[in-house]
Amino acid sequence: MEVNLVYEGFKFMVLGMSVVFSFLVIMVYALKLQAKIITKYFPDPVSPSSTNQRKTPAKNKSQDEVVAAITAAVMHHRKA
Amino acid sequence: MKKIVLVITLIASLFASSLLAAEAPPAPADGSVPKYAKEYEPKSIENMFGGLYETTGIKALTSVDPDMTDSDGKKMSGFSQTGARIIMVLISFVLFYLAIAKGFEPLLLIPIGFGGLLANIPLAGIGDPDGFLGIIYSTGIENGLFPLLIFMGVGAMTDFGPLLANPKVALLGAAAQFGIFGTVIGAVALTQYTDIFNFSLQDAAAIGIIGGADGPTSIYVASMLSPDLLGAIAIAAYSYMALVPIIQPPIMRALTNDKERVVKMEQLRVVSKREKIIFPITVLTLVMLFLPDAAPLVGALTFGNFVRESGVAARLSDTLQNALINIVTIMLGLAVGSKLAAEKFLIAETLGILVLGLVAFALGTVAGVLMAKIMSKFSKEPINPLIGAAGVSAVPMAARVVNKEGLKYNQDNHLLMHAMGPNVAGVIGSAVAAGVLLSLF
Repeated sequence: MEVNLVYEGFKFMVLGMSVVFSFLVIMVYALKLQAKIITKYFPDPVSPSSTNQRKTPAKNKSQDEVVAAITAAVMHHRKA
Repeated sequence: MKKIVLVITLIASLFASSLLAAEAPPAPADGSVPKYAKEYEPKSIENMFGGLYETTGIKALTSVDPDMTDSDGKKMSGFSQTGARIIMVLISFVLFYLAIAKGFEPLLLIPIGFGGLLANIPLAGIGDPDGFLGIIYSTGIENGLFPLLIFMGVGAMTDFGPLLANPKVALLGAAAQFGIFGTVIGAVALTQYTDIFNFSLQDAAAIGIIGGADGPTSIYVASMLSPDLLGAIAIAAYSYMALVPIIQPPIMRALTNDKERVVKMEQLRVVSKREKIIFPITVLTLVMLFLPDAAPLVGALTFGNFVRESGVAARLSDTLQNALINIVTIMLGLAVGSKLAAEKFLIAETLGILVLGLVAFALGTVAGVLMAKIMSKFSKEPINPLIGAAGVSAVPMAARVVNKEGLKYNQDNHLLMHAMGPNVAGVIGSAVAAGVLLSLF
């Protein structure tokens, strides 16, 4: 039987794109739910684990992370 | 003392084997006699020099042996024994040039180029099934093992934090997979409406995956669906990944205006460590429930990521992202390069694959950018449409390209972290797309 390849290809596209989209949409909601549950019920302990003890007070934590992120971005930028 | 014993045993065993050989008919059932096991016959000095000339590359490259066969045992044409080999050697040199002078994916193009060089040495048969590159090929590529090992390393190297901080950019990673399926149609259309190419639906699917911009995924799918075209597909996938900084920017510029390109995005929230630990498990659970065909790829990726984020297996994580991935990259590159043998590569299909691969990349970029434009219309927070281009995987190259483009139009608009979200979602998206295609056959 002669198969119309282009028609088959088109069906692949419809199926494929809908599966990829639905999978990632489900993932988006799963991740949002996960974030909500974790930040509400299981937030990271205020003082990080003993292997990673910070000497600076906790209020500087977010600032430290911002500095780290900026440093990482600058490094990436220079590498690129 | 030990050495002498060893030598004596060796000689004895040689005698024994020659005696055995004399008793039994020497040739094994398939007729392959080891090259150096034939009995030595005395020759004159002229014959010796003549014989030596017979085994030189000069002779092999300038004259045609009508009985020469390729690694599949098919007769080779005169051209693919002579001129084509030289062309392939030149192509290898071009790959070296691109890697060294232009800095295009040197970690891959150097081994691939050298593998190509080795595979095209006449008479040596390095790329044949019993040559050393052929052995590497059948060990790890034919069965899809190396791509999965690389995926573990990719998982261990990837920080999914940007995606966790802003999950909805995953849609960009989904949109960019349009390149894959658009190219499947392109490939079968070429088959149906021209006489030059003859791609089956399997071939078309394997070619389309190039649009996922993910070398390991391409190789994995091609090894399953279309092993004959694997060489050209891998080359196309890796070359275009290296060419992302050249292919993507014009498309990004064409689809956006100056106002959109300077959009600044909000700072990403901090993602907790626990979220990052749970993430691989969540993704794997979803794959388990919805698409087990994608499980090998996603499983390897999430394993690598879990080792990384668990935070208690630093040594394993370090090995995955350095030693293991480096070793496998060497093997993968050389083995892919061995598919640059002239008789396999200089065929019309290769040209078709290279063109289609480029189309796949471009289509993916277009779809990603358009999706980002749509999202920015409906989203409350500003979205810079440039980050859509990072939806094709090519981690982290595509994200860097986005960052670079963004900086061009606004000196202090760093889009890197925002582009990493769709970028890593693209890896998952193309693994899912690969799973869909594999589930269809």
